[in-house]
Amino acid sequence: MELCDRSAHKLLELLRSKQVSAEEIVRSSLQRIAAVDGRPGSLESGEETEKDRQSVHAFISVAAEQALDQAKSIDRQLAKGEPVGLLAGIPFSAKDVFCVKDTYTTAASKILANFKAPYTSTAVERLQKQGAIMLGKVNLDEFTYGSSNESTAFQPCPRNPWDTSRVPGGSSGGSTASVAAGEVPLSLGTDTAGSIRQPAAFCGVVGVKPTYGRVSRYGIIAFASSLDCPGPIARDITDAALMLQAIAGADPRDSTAANVPVPDYLATLEQGVKGKRIGLSPDYFQISYMDAESGEIHQKPVQEDIRAAVYHAAEVLQRMGAEIIEDVPMPNTRYGIPAFFVISRVEAASNLHRYDGVKYGYRTPSAEDDLRVMYRKTRNEAFGLQPKLRILMGMYVSAAQYSEQYYNRALKVRALLRRDFDQIFDPLGKYRLDALLTPTTPTTAFPIGAIYGDSVLMQYADQFTVTANHAGIPGISLPGGIAADGLPVGVQLLGPDYSEHTLLQMGRSLEIGTQDEAWRSQRPALTLRW
Amino acid sequence: MSEEITPEIFNHLVTLAALELDEKQAAYLRRELNQQLKAIHELEAIPLDADLKVTTHGVSYNLANSPALREDTWLPHPNPDEILAQAPQVDEQYIIVPDIPHEKLD
Amino acid sequence: MTDYEVVIGLETHIQLNTKTKIFCACKADSWDDEPNTNICPVCTGLPGVLPVLNKAVVEKGVLLAKAMHSDIRMRSFFDRKNYFYPDLPKGYQISQYDLSLASGGYLDIPMPEGYTRRVSIHKLHMEEDAGKTKNAGNLRLIDFNRCGVPLVEMVTGPDLRSANEAAQYLIRLRQLLRWLGISEADMEKGHLRCDANVSIRPKGSDQLFTKTEIKNVNSIDNVKNAIEHEVERQIREVEAGNRVHAWTLDWDEEKNELRKMRSKETEADYRYFREPDLLPLDLTQAWLDEILADFPELPLERKSRFISEYKLPEYDADILTGERNLSDYFETAVQQYAGDPKKVSNYLMNDVLRMLNESGKTANQLKLTPAYLAEILKMVDAGQINTSTGKSLLEKVESSGRSPKSIVETEGLGLVSDDSAIRAVAEKIVAASPKEVETFRAGKETLIGWFTGQVMREMRGKADPKLATQILLELLKK
Repeated sequence: MELCDRSAHKLLELLRSKQVSAEEIVRSSLQRIAAVDGRPGSLESGEETEKDRQSVHAFISVAAEQALDQAKSIDRQLAKGEPVGLLAGIPFSAKDVFCVKDTYTTAASKILANFKAPYTSTAVERLQKQGAIMLGKVNLDEFTYGSSNESTAFQPCPRNPWDTSRVPGGSSGGSTASVAAGEVPLSLGTDTAGSIRQPAAFCGVVGVKPTYGRVSRYGIIAFASSLDCPGPIARDITDAALMLQAIAGADPRDSTAANVPVPDYLATLEQGVKGKRIGLSPDYFQISYMDAESGEIHQKPVQEDIRAAVYHAAEVLQRMGAEIIEDVPMPNTRYGIPAFFVISRVEAASNLHRYDGVKYGYRTPSAEDDLRVMYRKTRNEAFGLQPKLRILMGMYVSAAQYSEQYYNRALKVRALLRRDFDQIFDPLGKYRLDALLTPTTPTTAFPIGAIYGDSVLMQYADQFTVTANHAGIPGISLPGGIAADGLPVGVQLLGPDYSEHTLLQMGRSLEIGTQDEAWRSQRPALTLRW
Repeated sequence: MSEEITPEIFNHLVTLAALELDEKQAAYLRRELNQQLKAIHELEAIPLDADLKVTTHGVSYNLANSPALREDTWLPHPNPDEILAQAPQVDEQYIIVPDIPHEKLD
Repeated sequence: MTDYEVVIGLETHIQLNTKTKIFCACKADSWDDEPNTNICPVCTGLPGVLPVLNKAVVEKGVLLAKAMHSDIRMRSFFDRKNYFYPDLPKGYQISQYDLSLASGGYLDIPMPEGYTRRVSIHKLHMEEDAGKTKNAGNLRLIDFNRCGVPLVEMVTGPDLRSANEAAQYLIRLRQLLRWLGISEADMEKGHLRCDANVSIRPKGSDQLFTKTEIKNVNSIDNVKNAIEHEVERQIREVEAGNRVHAWTLDWDEEKNELRKMRSKETEADYRYFREPDLLPLDLTQAWLDEILADFPELPLERKSRFISEYKLPEYDADILTGERNLSDYFETAVQQYAGDPKKVSNYLMNDVLRMLNESGKTANQLKLTPAYLAEILKMVDAGQINTSTGKSLLEKVESSGRSPKSIVETEGLGLVSDDSAIRAVAEKIVAASPKEVETFRAGKETLIGWFTGQVMREMRGKADPKLATQILLELLKK
């Protein structure tokens, strides 16, 4: 096992006992990137080659020099015996929606390809303050709009390290691919409908969507501001807890970052699940999706090995002392996606208004003497199809004459989704759950090109994750097995507001309970080749 | 099922959105919009209580956990020039764009 | 020929005089700054940054709402108003829409003709200002310094009936804003901006006819002027059998004419929705009490109190409540003086106001404090100085900052009330004026004035004239 394949907490141990240096850690990661990542995504990608098809393409930009400088500086501090941060010397990647001062932040869109933020997002700033080292920015669906990473304007798009013919998921697919491929132990992602958890499941890593407002959104290019949650992506629960510890907490620059004390996530991590009440809901084992041609709604059970993995996880947790409560009704789950189609589009269309060629980013090169023509050409030339689709839908459903029918109704459905959760988590209610255990996704990672273009079907990949965004509650996805197709399966734990410590504790128990199972030693194909 | 977003409505939306599209893009986008709307119409089947309280955020905020408002204290941004430096066209500290012409009233 | 009634509603944008902008920590006032220097990522709409509401904006908004007799909402919301314009960096303005800080309310406008016009308030909400643009040939130059400056938008009902009433509304609003200390309310500097909705209708009709909106008027005179132009134009159109179109008009100050703005520019569906980057604004009762603890008596209330309590003429009361500092000054001086308030008013209206105008100071900045003014008045009343000395003391106190008493003492300006000193002079005058003494004693007692004058002249005005007369009478009647 190379250094870059180790977990962050193991690396910290090695670093503090002076068995390795931060520079060695960073060099190991940079070597892995050089070995597996292939060429970075760019606006002019040209023909796709065979090598492209076998590479991860997680990164848009790699800041090797700065990373090495920071590593050396950490090593000097350690040598002098100076105190260092919680994550000193640990490399991480950041989804390219996190603004970092003096680096490009593109949102994987042509319209921001040349944008250099004069500020650093709170999440990145807090990681850096703890000594973590940013190796670079990773790819995503353009403006985070997608579940596969295929819509990035920076091609080649990321590929799944377990099988490079498959998508890594999205929109934080570059993040999860970079963690799964051993390029970095940690990555920052964002989750608006499942954009951390779904690709974490597809890539066999841990993804945490914190409670809305638990982690500041300052400096993160917005998708849907009422749903966006930045969060950690890591290879195991302990690393995710470490990372969340560093980034969580109120921020005077984000009015929605709640003023709630941050618990010590590591302190409770090993406390087990004895007495915890964990629910299973039949509503999370089937998807309702609409047939593109007929418009009919079909019900379809989740992939069998995914169902089996979740039930297996339940058994393990039960064995470890948790109480499993079955048949928990979550009747509005299926409406999460249609409500998301409305709410997220309204906010996204508004958030994309600012990209107009006036202040930053792309402006059409054709000389125009009418401002309105300049706007149209700029936005047409630099937005891809997915942003355009979201803008148009947002315009439609928030128009004065339709907003009651669509937008306000969707908000009410969101309130219903929240109520579903309030009822099962109510400590005086019928179910009194500490968490709900569900599949993260209805399927394992799908082949590149299989769904892309069908915007409705693509969205249904988020059916089990989007509910937490509507409700604002935290959710984590962690590996739950390997399916028959050789691809990772994710299981999801959802809990009440600010219950990240409980979810992490349960996740850690699941890790312990499954540590001897064969699938746990399987590694992504790509990391074995090198 | 008839199309909800007709070409006329679609073109209006494109104008509102400050976009212009080629035919191929327009055809794709209009089709996808109509598909998504079919999914959205599922929401109409849900019975909604009149007293259902709508909030902007799923998570609930109260006086105790809402961040304080900002005190009225001046903290100048250290480098406004870096903001200006992002603009595609700048002249003598002004950001430059093409004009929108006026009409004189007779 | 039909008689027309004019129907006007005003939309005002009031720039609050907070130190910083509404959602970021840039300073609010950029009047003297180079373009695009008082900016930050938040007010220029850079990606990823977020608004954080300035507490002082809410407090000033609450004061205004209270003064307008509006109902203050304990929970209000911010919304996004979406539209494209180059001076609006985010492509939406953070404003308040359906559940704004306050609802309803009114302002009573006393008209110079004697009647009072009650103007209803339809909307009162907080929002951020946009930047400034100016034309240069076929280009537009943008300055974002003004982006994010806190505004209260206040919209009246269609209650004003003439250009003059509109002007009076603005005069009274300006007075009120300064009185509350929430805005400099200088129209030339854009602290108070006004759009006017204007329509006409046949007298007697209570329908509302198609209105036009006049934008970009930056002085009270211009508002009046633009409305008058527009009313004339609408009457001309209707008389010629044409329709009035719901145009948006731009007032060109230099050319003194109205221009039509492109209809496309004004055609809008703003697609309002709640601003997800901000939480609902909750006012607690405790905070509200704190904000309103020092809520002042308002100018019109104070004016009528001055009339009834101090028996001031309406003219005096109006001037003395024109500005809060002056009005406070007056009242303090009256209290310190404890004499006839009209005398205080006279000093203020004639002399102190002139000093204020000449120096550009406000009443609270004068070194001539209300206590010093009261001291001067008391000395005059007590005969320690004469009226002209009193008046000359005003300037002396103001320029030196010394108390009137000490100036009188060191400069020897006090009246001589020493019996023997005056008696000596009086005896001298009587002895030197045998002819006049004889005439007096023959019965022409009015000559006493001449004698007193002589004594005063001899003593260079410093004798107490009452005492001098008394002594002279004693000597002459012997």
